[in-house]
Amino acid sequence: MFLRILKKDLKRKRTMNVILLLFIILAAMFLASSVDNLIAVNGAIDHFMKISKVPDSLVVALTDGVTDEIADFLQENEWVSEYEVIDGFNLLNEDVTITSCQAEPGKSGYERTNTLCIEKIPDDFVKVFTTEDSPLTLKPTEIAFPKVEADNNNLQVGDIVSIRVGEVEQEFRIAAIVKDAVFGSSMMGFKRLLVTEEDYARYAGQEGLVHIGIYNVNYVDKEKFQSEWKKQNFTVISAIDGKDTIRLCYIMDMLIAAILIVVSVCLILLAFLVLRFTIVFTLQEDYKEIGIMKAIGLRDAGIKGLYLTKYFAISVAGAMIGLVCSLPFGRAILKRAIVNIVVEQNGQNFVINIVCAVAVVGIVLLFCYLSTNKLKKISALEAIRSGSDGERYKAKSHFKLWKRSRMRPSLYLAVNDILSSLKRFGILFVTFCLGMMLILLPLSAANTLKSDGIISEFSLSPSDVYLDTGRGETYTVDMDNLFRDMEEIENVLSEKGMRAQTGADMGYMLPCYADDPENTVTYYVLQAEGSWERHYSVLAGREPELANEVMITELTAEELGVGIGDTIYFKTAEQAEEYIITGTYQSMMNMGQGYRVSRSAKMDPAYAAGILCMQVEIEGMESEEACEQLESIFPDYRIMDAKGFLDNMIGGIIEQIDTLTYFIVATVLIINGLITVLLMKTIMTKERGDIALLKSLGFTDGTLKNWQTARVMLILAVSVVAGTVLSNLLAPYIVGPIFAIMGGTSIKLVTGTVEVYVIYPLLLLMVTGLTALLCAGGVKKVDLKEVNDIE
Amino acid sequence: MNTLTVKDLCKTYIINKRQNNVLKNINMEIREGEMVAVMGPSGSGKSTLLYTISGMDHLTAGRVDFFGKDISALSAAQMSSLRLNEMGFIFQQMYMLKNLTVYDNIILPAYQAKSGKSKEQRKEINDRAKELMHKLGISEIAEHDINEVSGGQLQRACICRSLINNPKMIFADEPTGALNQQNSKEVMKELNRINAEGTTIMLVTHDMKVAAKSDRVLYIEDGSIKGEYTFGKYKGQEENREREKKLSVWLMEMGF
Repeated sequence: MFLRILKKDLKRKRTMNVILLLFIILAAMFLASSVDNLIAVNGAIDHFMKISKVPDSLVVALTDGVTDEIADFLQENEWVSEYEVIDGFNLLNEDVTITSCQAEPGKSGYERTNTLCIEKIPDDFVKVFTTEDSPLTLKPTEIAFPKVEADNNNLQVGDIVSIRVGEVEQEFRIAAIVKDAVFGSSMMGFKRLLVTEEDYARYAGQEGLVHIGIYNVNYVDKEKFQSEWKKQNFTVISAIDGKDTIRLCYIMDMLIAAILIVVSVCLILLAFLVLRFTIVFTLQEDYKEIGIMKAIGLRDAGIKGLYLTKYFAISVAGAMIGLVCSLPFGRAILKRAIVNIVVEQNGQNFVINIVCAVAVVGIVLLFCYLSTNKLKKISALEAIRSGSDGERYKAKSHFKLWKRSRMRPSLYLAVNDILSSLKRFGILFVTFCLGMMLILLPLSAANTLKSDGIISEFSLSPSDVYLDTGRGETYTVDMDNLFRDMEEIENVLSEKGMRAQTGADMGYMLPCYADDPENTVTYYVLQAEGSWERHYSVLAGREPELANEVMITELTAEELGVGIGDTIYFKTAEQAEEYIITGTYQSMMNMGQGYRVSRSAKMDPAYAAGILCMQVEIEGMESEEACEQLESIFPDYRIMDAKGFLDNMIGGIIEQIDTLTYFIVATVLIINGLITVLLMKTIMTKERGDIALLKSLGFTDGTLKNWQTARVMLILAVSVVAGTVLSNLLAPYIVGPIFAIMGGTSIKLVTGTVEVYVIYPLLLLMVTGLTALLCAGGVKKVDLKEVNDIE
Repeated sequence: MNTLTVKDLCKTYIINKRQNNVLKNINMEIREGEMVAVMGPSGSGKSTLLYTISGMDHLTAGRVDFFGKDISALSAAQMSSLRLNEMGFIFQQMYMLKNLTVYDNIILPAYQAKSGKSKEQRKEINDRAKELMHKLGISEIAEHDINEVSGGQLQRACICRSLINNPKMIFADEPTGALNQQNSKEVMKELNRINAEGTTIMLVTHDMKVAAKSDRVLYIEDGSIKGEYTFGKYKGQEENREREKKLSVWLMEMGF
């Protein structure tokens, strides 16, 4: 009997049951994939560093390939537990020739993003992975490129490049684009191309070449090792101390991850809303029947059991389908979002998905239990009389037609329905509103990064041209190289009749302390060089002017416990130089840590660590024209405008956020469409009687379609406005902290653009409106005789 | 002139892959200003006849002319326009939109009929609605929600709604079926008054007292009209008993 009732119910109320099933599938899919992604993203960098085997310390230095004093030191040092030296060769732009490029046929010139070298595939430390997250393997004549380098040159798998080292030139087919835990990050100023040991040996066999050595070191005691290391005074290109520093390089990827977390939380919220709505709605549909069952003597427990069994069957089916769908859905989101990191995908994740699916079944049954619980309180007659609403009639109409006589009846009915059933339509509002916020929040991050003023937040002063001579390594070895290059650029431009000024910000790595000489922190100390007199943005106080003045970032000031007027000391091997703090600033370089000294400060060139770029200001010329001019005059240099430089520096993160935004837009449109279809179908099922009544009164199908569509469109319009307002209000609290982690403690977010106020709202209105209109076509199928179905 | 002319009307439903002839070769006419009642046992096809000839349901064969116009040849939009402007419907259950007040339910078809209304037209609609509600004695419930009024009041509101666009004909399916005796009497009184003012009415009923107040009664059984009884115009309460008696005898002859 029990099963017969169930079977009949499932068959007879097919539409509602199918809708319930679809909503449960959606909820399970959203919940499982989002929780899974949250966990995966949270531990992604640690996981990546672990499987890559990132060392405690990593040093890059030039060697002659024969004697290696650093390796000797590491071999002898008792505080080193293990180390590995990876040999490589530095590559300049002219060393790499593109012989076949699918995206740009005929292209041959290569532009490296930063210091570039060629190495054999690492097999112990800092292992690399393919874009499919599998360990890299190559065959002879195959080469692997880091994503940043490949993107910068429009290269892809299958393209052919020719690489010359010394007298040996070899041709390689790009077989993989790799994820490289240490050198792959867009923030890391060193990139490597990888080939097989066999191919690499052909280069290495030559004599008299300058090698680049990468020293991966794990130590037993950090402090003791560092103390001895500092005493050696080795000349190195860069020294990365500790995993924390490497972790910082992924801050941009974590920005994406943070956006993904916001998306996931929203999807989870949506999943719960959807579930609650569906269960309450479908149960309300059954109130009348429940009343009849009570009337013929069925006990409350029996009725509850009947519904719990029904919902259990549907929810198990839905959760299983949702579980299966969650895997590709979650992976698709994750793959779009995290392109530089190997994210953990193992059996444990699937267990999380299963737990979420089981949770959905539990939530469905809980909602069902709570809803059916109300039945105890009402009599059979009340349940029957309550009809589909499951509640006594209450005055509903607050919006009078005769007072709104200029309104078309279809629009009036739509507005009145929404005002009369705010709860019912609330889910649409929340969905659309969340969708709009999901689009606008990452957009606000991307627009801020694209804005003109953002360059100031990267410890630079905006200029017409940002230039990379490709000789950055030589500037740290001898700063005169930098001064010569700047002078030469000015002279060449002067000969061409252009009055130009050049500048560069040299970074020095110096330990710094405030009170306790033993308690030091080491961050970049920037100093402006070159003829171009420029100013930098400050948050408080003023820029340093005298030789013993310094400006300090807010985060570093906080860490050192100092403020304007206080004194800090920069330590060199010989002495500690005293500096007075004149101001604070914010910087999204180096996680917001750093200092800037005045031009007159005496800095020791031995501690020079590199420049970001060279900057050129040409009198009476706009950036675009200046870039064009310099490109033609200096074809070997990399010429960039502010956006190009930022793109280069933060590794196409803007493009990545844009891609993610497009993906979110597509997801939001699909979710909006899906929820619209399901909700409209649900409500239409309930309103068939009303539709038939209006048809019998002479309302045309067109009018009825307008009525049904207008409700969705009105809610969408209100949601778009609310979503935009909420996004603008919440962006400083959601997107702001992400910039704050990067060091942008007082970043002014850019939210008001054509995209925000016109393009995306219109896109949402068009796509969701079209979906609603197509769905409203269902009114045609309502037979006039169904007027008798009104309860 | 005939308001409605039905020729060889057939209506067939296919249930479980079997044909069911619900209406078989129905031929009938309803003259302008006439009030015709359709009676018959349950399942005889009374309501189907009403819905089919009013264009609410498709006919399988035959022809229905409404003021000389073949309604089966009309498009869905033309049929909607016809229902909106020239026909009125009253159902057994007092179907109204729950989210609207009684008054808004009444004026809704008029606002729909006169889309792009001028101020004068809007005033006309409101005046007409108030007049109808006054005539039917429900002015005081205008701003009430539909759950706040009695069944009789609601059915009278439904009658107001059916009359708001000055229809030429009203189709009523058991208009008193859900009402008590008193309310039933009041509703029939209104229908007779509307009919006296010139509106043609066709109603389906089980109630002899209701049918006795119409000009003509059609008796339908197994989808065919078995007979008809003509009373002539109903003149008032005083002839109730006699008309009911005659109808009772006739219905017994028909096997009701």
